[in-house]
Amino acid sequence: MDALRRHYRVWLRLVRMSLSAQLSYGLGSFGFLAAKLIRLLFFFGYILAIFKHTKSVAGYSLDETVLFFLTFNLIDTVTMALFRSVYSARRVVEDGDLDYYLVQPCSPLFRMAACIVDFLDLATMLPVLALLATTWQRLPAGIGLVRVVLYAGLVLNGVAIALAMHIFVTAITVRTQELENTIRLYRDMLFLGKFPIDIYAAPLRWALTIVVPIGVITSFPVKALLGLLSPAWMLYALVLAAASLGASLWFWRGALAAYTSVSS
Amino acid sequence: MGKYLYVFQINMQSVLQRRASLLMDRVGGIATTVALYFFWSSIFSGSQSILGYSPARMLSYVLMTNFLRAVVFTDRGWEVIRDISSGRISNYLLRPIRYAAYCFSMDAAQKTVGAAAAALEIGVLILCFKTPWYVPRQASTWLLFGLAAGMSSLIFFLLEFAVASIAFWTFESGGPLFCFDLTVQFAAGAFFPLDVLPKTFQNILQATPFPYIVFFPLNVYLERLPAGALLRQFSLQAAWLCVIGWIVSRVWRRGLRAYAAEGG
Repeated sequence: MDALRRHYRVWLRLVRMSLSAQLSYGLGSFGFLAAKLIRLLFFFGYILAIFKHTKSVAGYSLDETVLFFLTFNLIDTVTMALFRSVYSARRVVEDGDLDYYLVQPCSPLFRMAACIVDFLDLATMLPVLALLATTWQRLPAGIGLVRVVLYAGLVLNGVAIALAMHIFVTAITVRTQELENTIRLYRDMLFLGKFPIDIYAAPLRWALTIVVPIGVITSFPVKALLGLLSPAWMLYALVLAAASLGASLWFWRGALAAYTSVSS
Repeated sequence: MGKYLYVFQINMQSVLQRRASLLMDRVGGIATTVALYFFWSSIFSGSQSILGYSPARMLSYVLMTNFLRAVVFTDRGWEVIRDISSGRISNYLLRPIRYAAYCFSMDAAQKTVGAAAAALEIGVLILCFKTPWYVPRQASTWLLFGLAAGMSSLIFFLLEFAVASIAFWTFESGGPLFCFDLTVQFAAGAFFPLDVLPKTFQNILQATPFPYIVFFPLNVYLERLPAGALLRQFSLQAAWLCVIGWIVSRVWRRGLRAYAAEGG
């Protein structure tokens, strides 16, 4: 419990430092924030425009398709906001900062994966939540509290799987000092989650559920909300999150054991 | 001219040598293309024509954006920012070369490899998905498409060069460049054809150079423009190229005057 409290205090201090850093980088931060908003609004606008010419995509109405898109954005934004420091993992290893992390009374994984909060992503979350609330009101009546709870639970489950992927990326960086390719691969694959996984051909759909579980991260919450996800798949999602977190932590410990203080 | 050819050759070797980066680059491109391909496929499963696009034309549009992304969006601007901010550009300014031409030679090597890889990927995707593919009826269309793609590539290179030149005045030019890169991709039609947008937005975009970067070359390929419109659009593309070239040379000269070789 003491360790948890200590980590929380450290996290709060680092969050304040992240905010100061981002505020001192005015033009740059403004550009990045504007880009994130433009990407969200352009894509949203395109989906609305396309639905002027069609009634459904893979059997989903406009509101349902938008819900998939916004849920993808919600999970992606939360992940990016909380685990942004993974993107600096290579610098941390190359500059030798990891050596300092190892002698501090704080988890080195925590320092490498979660010590920066991206306030630009938090700001992007506001329009996502506003659009989500608007879309929510347009959904057909009859979605009970149970489905809403399942949706929220599977969103958190998606964030947990995304965290596991970020831990894998961090561990690979410690082992190889190579970050850009793996994180880019993850980001690019995530693009496939912008739409419902039902649009894809069966083999790809299978791959996105079992091999690279982008579908579990982004599509499962909405499918549960719409009553289209069986309990067996929900159980699978939970087991997958637990297994991927366990495997990523095991891989991280292996990477740390193999770390040779390469930059020192 | 010979020295730029050497730069081209050396960078070609460098791009081909970093096979992991190249592979990850291409996987990223394919993920985006596959997502959009299936999105449009599911829309066309209930319709034979949307906005004058047959399934063959629309799916060809989507696959060909993969080619144009490789040829156009090569992100040289980030390298320019790094060179200016680190002072490394002083090294180039002292040599008997033009920095912009040097950058373009580097870029051309990346574009050549990217174009070859993208063409191969399109072929594989057509075979795998049994895509109804639009083949231009006239042989001259290939030539005109090449011309339009070449000019669009130059337009984007110059625009990005101009935005990256902000680094002469501030260290925070990354944000504006990121914002610019994303905006251009949406406004150029790299994700969706621009004619799905409402007429007002289309008219606004037509007053900018962005549609000439992706949307126009693909309209040339898909033979959607009558001879008169084709000539007019080519003239406008060439005019934009000249105007942007002039602006870049002015910005660059002013930037060099403001340059203090900090870090160099």
